[in-house]
Amino acid sequence: MIAFTTPYLWYSSRATGIVSLVLLTVMIVLGALVSTRVGGRAVGRFEINEIHRSISMITMLFVVVHVGTTVVDSYVPIGFFSALVPFTSGYRRIPVAIGTIAIDLMLTVWVSSLVKDRIRNVTWRYLHWLSWGCFAAAALHGFLVGSDSHRPWMIILQAVCVAAVIMAAIWRITQRPTRAAGRTAHSPLAGSGQVATKKTSPTSGPRPLAKTGGRAIPPSAPLAKGPRR
Amino acid sequence: MKRRNETLILRADPILCDGFGHCAELAPEIVTLDEWGYPIISTTPLGAARSTSLRSAQLAVRGCPRQALWIEKVEQRS
Repeated sequence: MIAFTTPYLWYSSRATGIVSLVLLTVMIVLGALVSTRVGGRAVGRFEINEIHRSISMITMLFVVVHVGTTVVDSYVPIGFFSALVPFTSGYRRIPVAIGTIAIDLMLTVWVSSLVKDRIRNVTWRYLHWLSWGCFAAAALHGFLVGSDSHRPWMIILQAVCVAAVIMAAIWRITQRPTRAAGRTAHSPLAGSGQVATKKTSPTSGPRPLAKTGGRAIPPSAPLAKGPRR
Repeated sequence: MKRRNETLILRADPILCDGFGHCAELAPEIVTLDEWGYPIISTTPLGAARSTSLRSAQLAVRGCPRQALWIEKVEQRS
């Protein structure tokens, strides 16, 4: 490998590492909000879901820069191989391995979401639980090898991130609705057309479509065996 | 050749559905929710390609956290 080092690589690695921790926190919290069905009035549930997806993508971009700058920088002997396989780093073996594990978990969750249509939804959901482990590993990795991890502002930042995720975990466990959580009023078209009139109409009962002449499929309707994609 | 009158409708698997309600937000002209938050899907055909309702249905299919929705080709009775 060609020896190449500049302080800017190291600065970039540190900065993107810190940003990644913050983004991971936001990602986890939003994911917990999606699965506990938060939203529907002020903000749409699908919007929280979309923000969760987008933030996850942005997080991975920052992680790529974080890892890329570390690998390219020849000042620390961390090769491309040890970015993906834990316990192969010549530099700070154990803490770097914890970061590698976080990357592997993140890649697992990402790939499982990419092939979501081809695997069972339950499988995808179980694999998605690994993201909590990903955050734990990433936070521990940052605390152990972060150049700034023992500075007061960084300790505060890390404490806030970890506290937010712990609160999200408690929220996720205690607020978990197993079934439907009721109507959601928010939609992109809520301001126009039939949805708005239906909402304000005094005649609208609990099942507006079912009343209007049976032009609706009840949830219990028998299903044709269609191709699932 | 006999021309088959096929249309597209949105279908939901009630077993997979956990009542997240994303479909009713993404495709409000097709999906309403019952009082428990489960979808009631209009049987009105989704219309031609690139129609608004088909686009909404595709968004609902993509946005379903349980992948309980799909678009199905059905033969129209007329």
